[in-house]
Amino acid sequence: MSEPLRFRGGGFVIGPKPISSCLGGLAVIAIWQAVSSAGWVSPIFLPSPAGIARALGEMALSGQLWRHLGASLQRILLGFALGSAAGLALGLALGLLSHARAAGLPIVSALFPIPKIALLPLFILWFGIGEPSKVATIALGVFFPMAIATYSGVDQVPRTLIRMAQSFDVPTHAIVAKVILPGALPGILAGVRISASIALILVVAAEMIGAEFGIGAFILTAGNLMRTEDLLAGVCLLSILGLAVGFLVSLAERRLLSWR
Amino acid sequence: MRLKWIAAVAALTLLAVPAQAEKTSLSVLKLASSGPVFLAQDLGYFAAEGLEVELKFFTAAQPVAVAVVSGDAEFGVTGLTAGFYNLAGKGALKIIAGQSREQPGYRLSAYMVSNKAWEAGVRSPADFAGKSFAMTQVGSTFYYMIGLLAEKKGFDAAKMRLVPLQSIPNMVSALQGGQVDTAILPSTVAVPMADRNDAKIVGWAGDETPWQLGALFTSPKMIDGKRATVERFVRAYKKGVAAYDLAFQKRTDQAATDKALDILAKYTEQQKGAIAAGLPYIEPEARFSAKDIAKQVAYWQSQKQADASVDAKEIVVTSFVPSLD
Repeated sequence: MSEPLRFRGGGFVIGPKPISSCLGGLAVIAIWQAVSSAGWVSPIFLPSPAGIARALGEMALSGQLWRHLGASLQRILLGFALGSAAGLALGLALGLLSHARAAGLPIVSALFPIPKIALLPLFILWFGIGEPSKVATIALGVFFPMAIATYSGVDQVPRTLIRMAQSFDVPTHAIVAKVILPGALPGILAGVRISASIALILVVAAEMIGAEFGIGAFILTAGNLMRTEDLLAGVCLLSILGLAVGFLVSLAERRLLSWR
Repeated sequence: MRLKWIAAVAALTLLAVPAQAEKTSLSVLKLASSGPVFLAQDLGYFAAEGLEVELKFFTAAQPVAVAVVSGDAEFGVTGLTAGFYNLAGKGALKIIAGQSREQPGYRLSAYMVSNKAWEAGVRSPADFAGKSFAMTQVGSTFYYMIGLLAEKKGFDAAKMRLVPLQSIPNMVSALQGGQVDTAILPSTVAVPMADRNDAKIVGWAGDETPWQLGALFTSPKMIDGKRATVERFVRAYKKGVAAYDLAFQKRTDQAATDKALDILAKYTEQQKGAIAAGLPYIEPEARFSAKDIAKQVAYWQSQKQADASVDAKEIVVTSFVPSLD
């Protein structure tokens, strides 16, 4: 009698291991703190986690934290909303219309790699030193990756599905709404994930222009004053925001892509 | 024939001895205020002290100081900022000699007003009260200079809108477009702007508020471990300062002035005319004001931009060059 075959096709499946992911982070922080406490590195070169936590605590207690966070979140949300909406619209046009792609894609490719920081003196002349120039910096940074992600998402919709809908004589607008958009959604959400992180990166660049408050302004000031603990505290805030964004996008993926 | 060879080898060995100079390095900005260093390098004053100095160029004051803290350079020479004092206060930097000063009659930093603000009646430094002011950064020399001006004219700098724009091109843009009312800009930028009528110059910081703008500094490790090197470096630096003084301040020898201007143009990569128009004052014996340093530290502490633990007395070392006061 042969025994039932053992299942061998596990295929290195990566499963969620929440305890390991917490332990990994904690171990890094513990080693860092131990090295600092032992005095192996000067606090000028690398502040200790305890020092960074103290800087964050002081910010929270003095109320500065909320002021900086509020100012930055407002810019990030507005810039991201404007930039990603425009990027989505352009991306769809590039994905669906041959003429739009022929005309638009070279322009997108030419403008995407321009470093937004290099344009800051022009942004000041165009948008002034108030909120518009800051929002524009973030919006412009978000716009291009979003447009590219959307158009490649549209490209990746299985052609067979579209042809099938066409052969059933489904009207074009319905094909776009019911086949192409849902099919492109994974690509679009990947674009959201990347462009939201870009928005966080660009908040520092945006707040180079005359910002009194904001996480970026806080980081810049700390750097100028060589307050390395404050600087890393600000960087930690950005990391936390990054984690929050990642969590929100994952949530959206689970909701919107449940049909998969 | 053999004797000739021996003589040649002997001559080469003798020549090789001074070529084995001690290597050291200096972090520096490509500005006319670093003139003494460039003169000392080009006229061979460092070499005469047996030093081979590698110049490491930066574009802002902060990295110049950081390079000395990190050990990438053994000496540094640049403007004094709040960030400098925070590093020095942690025991990482010591001031050993003076560099540029804002001094009456020397046009280094201009008070500037946008055309819009000029039309609205902002026509002198005293009118800066309550206006918006462009600067590079919180903690910069510009921030200090507006604080000094406010103190002198009796207005409150905190009631102005101080706008950090990170770089001088951004400041120029904002002033040109009238997005800010006022700014302080280096003469190399200010004079061409005023010539193009992009903005107006209404005064000079040296005339209103003289102060110790820059210094030569090193790390405590150098002073403790390689004191002889520091002494030789400072001796050569002082000769460079004396050459600068002769060329641009005493001006008794036109040939020396022309040569020094050529050297500065070579190292700073700027037009000779622009350099000549914005030469800073440098104390002829490279002395600096310890009292002024103490005043600066106290000001930054009052603005909560320097840590309370910074002690001005700990930062200055007057055993290489005596203090002015």
